[in-house]
Amino acid sequence: MRRHSIHALLIVILLLEAAYVGAASSALETVKGRVGQVLDLLRDPSLKGPAGEMSKRERIRAVSEKMFDYLELSRRTLGPHWNKFMPEQQLEFVELYKSILEGAYIDKIMSYTDEKILYHRENPLTEKTVEVQTTVVTKKADIPISYRLIQKAGDWKVYDVVIEGVSLVGNYRTQFSRMLANDSPVGFLESLRKRSSTS
Amino acid sequence: MRILPALLFIATFLLLGSIEASADTGPREGELFAEQQDEARTDIDRAPTRDPGRGQPGESEHGESFDEEDEEPLRIVDPFYPWNKAMYHVNDKFYFWLLKPVSQGYAAVFPEDVRLSVRHFFDNLAMPIRLASSLLQLKIKDAGNELFRFLYNSTAGVCGLTDAAKADLGIARKDEDIGQALGRYGVGHGIYLVWPFLGPSSLRDTVGRIGDRLLSPVNYIDPAGTSVGVTLYERVNETSLRIGDYEDLKKSAVDPYLAIRDAYLQFRKKKVSE
Repeated sequence: MRRHSIHALLIVILLLEAAYVGAASSALETVKGRVGQVLDLLRDPSLKGPAGEMSKRERIRAVSEKMFDYLELSRRTLGPHWNKFMPEQQLEFVELYKSILEGAYIDKIMSYTDEKILYHRENPLTEKTVEVQTTVVTKKADIPISYRLIQKAGDWKVYDVVIEGVSLVGNYRTQFSRMLANDSPVGFLESLRKRSSTS
Repeated sequence: MRILPALLFIATFLLLGSIEASADTGPREGELFAEQQDEARTDIDRAPTRDPGRGQPGESEHGESFDEEDEEPLRIVDPFYPWNKAMYHVNDKFYFWLLKPVSQGYAAVFPEDVRLSVRHFFDNLAMPIRLASSLLQLKIKDAGNELFRFLYNSTAGVCGLTDAAKADLGIARKDEDIGQALGRYGVGHGIYLVWPFLGPSSLRDTVGRIGDRLLSPVNYIDPAGTSVGVTLYERVNETSLRIGDYEDLKKSAVDPYLAIRDAYLQFRKKKVSE
């Protein structure tokens, strides 16, 4: 009897939680939720050892898939060059860019442990985009990190991350523009392919 | 004989730099505005492009109005590119061959808490730079905070070894320097410059840095050799607290020179606006 009521209670809690996640409509709540998921993974004591690390990495990657709108991020990074790419080239670029970003940041994220994150506020940028301001407080420094999100079909997705005033999209745009000024999309993708196969 | 054309060359570019500098700030504000407008527009444009793999490839993608899109990266003229690129390599080697190993050795001897205290001490000592820069920008409240922080940290903070003003009272340091003050008054970067050992800078920020140095008590340590030694020590201490940052930046970059230049510009722009 008692066990049954505990089960019922658990189910109710789970349902409530699901409903809550479904209703988490503000951009700030979305960022908080996703970053929280990553922090939980980082602190999960069961994910130790080489196998644990591998699965941790995979799960963080899965969260990032949900958190980021890689298509939007890629489109904004290429800017006017985006239209010079054929649809399949655009898709390939999104994948290559994603692997560059993951390669660059996953180790950094994995190295985080006891950092505290402060969520400040969200500033509307346009009708459908907002910037969520956070600070990562470490013993050595306070690092301001802003997430720029866009609302699509009711969901908020990150399309740019601004660390200490430096926009990720802006920084890569500068680099890619230079490459695309001297190269066709075909040659450009080729050099990105080469880069991701060597690193 | 050979020096004259070189001087002319430099003078021309300095002039170009100052022209660029005056043209620099106006359009940048405009750019920001344009970017915001544009984000609104791309929302309308997005519908057909949600997934380029699906739907009607080709047509809708290329029908998108990107031509007006003005999300241009921050621009700076880089007439000394060959010099800057060479100095970028010099600094890269300087970091990996000298600064990093020395800082790591230093970090192996002195625990992090000690090094953080050293950092606080130097930060506290650099008060005149922040005070003067705040005053120049008529940021009276910031200037007051700076003075108060200095008095509080020099006493309650044990000669500046801890940032008690932040820990006890929540009054945090605000980075201000002469380069930012110049930027506040509309002085543009002019040209991009990479200095050996000092790293990325610009014409404006180089002038600012000289000003900072003149305001820094460390500059007035006598004899000059000791002053240089103290400066180097501060650098090693700071580097020991940042090992990995430069490596990460380089690793994430496709073109590290451009990535650093752009990051520098974005970072400084944010600092000036704050």
